[in-house]
Amino acid sequence: MKTIINEQDRRNFVSQVETMLHDKLAKCYQCGKCSAGCPVNFEMDYTPNQIIKMTELGMQDPVLNSKTIWLCVSCNTCSTRCPKGFEVAGIMDVLREIATRKGIESKTEKEIQVFHKVFLDNVKSNGRIFELELVGKYRLKTKRLFRDMFLAPKMIEKGKLRMSGDKVSAINSIAKIFRDFE
Amino acid sequence: MKLAYYPGCSLKGTSFEYEVSLLKVLEVLNIEIKEIPDWNCCGASAAHSINHNLSVALPARNLAIAENNGFENVLAPCAACSSRLKTANYELGSDDVLRKKITDSLDMPYNASLGVSNMLEFLLNAVGKENIKSHIKRPLNGIKVASYYGCLLVRPPKIMKFDDPENPVSMDELVSLTGATAVDYPYKTDCCGAINSLSKPDVVMALTGKVLYNIKEHGADLVVVACPLCHSNLDVRQREIERKYSERIGLPVIFITELLGLSFGLSPEELAIDGHMVNADKILQKILAASR
Repeated sequence: MKTIINEQDRRNFVSQVETMLHDKLAKCYQCGKCSAGCPVNFEMDYTPNQIIKMTELGMQDPVLNSKTIWLCVSCNTCSTRCPKGFEVAGIMDVLREIATRKGIESKTEKEIQVFHKVFLDNVKSNGRIFELELVGKYRLKTKRLFRDMFLAPKMIEKGKLRMSGDKVSAINSIAKIFRDFE
Repeated sequence: MKLAYYPGCSLKGTSFEYEVSLLKVLEVLNIEIKEIPDWNCCGASAAHSINHNLSVALPARNLAIAENNGFENVLAPCAACSSRLKTANYELGSDDVLRKKITDSLDMPYNASLGVSNMLEFLLNAVGKENIKSHIKRPLNGIKVASYYGCLLVRPPKIMKFDDPENPVSMDELVSLTGATAVDYPYKTDCCGAINSLSKPDVVMALTGKVLYNIKEHGADLVVVACPLCHSNLDVRQREIERKYSERIGLPVIFITELLGLSFGLSPEELAIDGHMVNADKILQKILAASR
C-alpha cells in the first residue's frame, strides 16, 4: 500500500469530505464503537473507524476502492452510538458519492453500485419504482438472471408482483430534478 | 388537522398488504387521510447512497406538494420513506442555502412546516391509545408477539426523534393494547440488511436469519413490523433462510396494522394477511377460535 501522501492532496481530500459531510474528521478518537456495533463488519475489508482514520490521513485510493463503503447498509447504529456524535454513516454516503462521481468501479461490490444506479434510473423514467422492471433490469445488468427466480411464482400468486407500474403524471418535474442534480 | 398520506412505492407493490390493512384500520378508527397528489418515489437508499442532492430533492417534491395543498402532517407508513422524508425535512429546515437550491429546482416554495410521522408515531400520538383501545372487539389474549423495529424507525435519533434508539417500546405498547403478550428479545433494532436485499442476498440472509432465530428462541408465535423492507426480508426470504441454515423457523410476519385490525374484529382476508409468503393459518385459527 502506498503510504507517502502529498500533504496538499491530503488536505484537499479531507476538506472535500468534511464540506460534504458537515462534520470534522478530527472528532473521531478511534474508540472503535462504530465498528463493534456494525452489523456488516464481518464482510468489510476495513472497519468503519479505519475508514475514518484513513480518510483523515488522505488515503484516497484505498478508501474509495474499499468494499466497506458499499457494504455499509446505512443502519445508523454507528452514528447513534458514537460518543463524539460523529456522522459515521454519513461519511459512507459521502465516500460513495465521491467514488461515484469519479467513476470508480468497485471490483468486488459492483452489484451494489449497479443496483443504486438502476434504482435511480427507474425513478427518473417513472417517478416511482416499478418493481418488476427494476428487478428485471438489475438482473440483466448483473447477468444474474436466475437468482431469486424461485420466489417469483409464489410472489405472483400472492399478488405481490404487479405487471405494470404507476407513473408520476408531471414526469417533467422529475426529469428537471434529475437534470439539475444528477 | 388535515392529514396527508404518502404511500411510497412498496405499499403499491410487494407490500400491498400494509396499505390494505392500514386503510381498513383507519376506516374503523374513522380517521381521514388524503394521498399526496401525484407523489413520487422518495429515492430510498439509492439516492442517499450516491447523490445527496437527489436524496433531498426527491422527498422535498412530496413535502412541498403537501405543504402547498394546506396539509400540516404527513403519514409515511414505510419506515424507509418516513426516514427519507424526515431527513429531507430536517436538512431543508436547518440549511437555507440547500433549501433555496432545492426549491428553485422544484419551482415550488417549501417552508419545512410539515410534520412527518411514521406508522407507530401516528398510531400512538395522532390516534391515541384510548381511542385504539375503545375499538378492540377481539382481544388477542394468549398470543405471543415479537415487535421488530429494525433501523429506520428510530435511527438516527436526532432526526427521527422517536422512541428509544436502543430499546424502543412503542410497538410493544401497541401489541399490549390488543391483549397480546409482547415478547422481549435483544435483536429488535438489529438491521435486516434491507438496502442490499437484491445485491447481497447472502449477507441479508445472515442478518435476517440472526433476527428470526433469536425471535424464535424467545418463544414468539408471530412477528410484527412497521416497515415493508423489513417485512420483505423477514417474510419473503424466510423459506430460503430455513434452507440455508437447515433449521425451521415458521414465523408468520405481519404488519402492526394487521395485528390491530385482527383485534378490531376484522377478518384476515380484509387485512390481506393471506398476501404474505409465510403461512399464518395456524395462529389465525387460534385467534379466530378464541373469539368465537
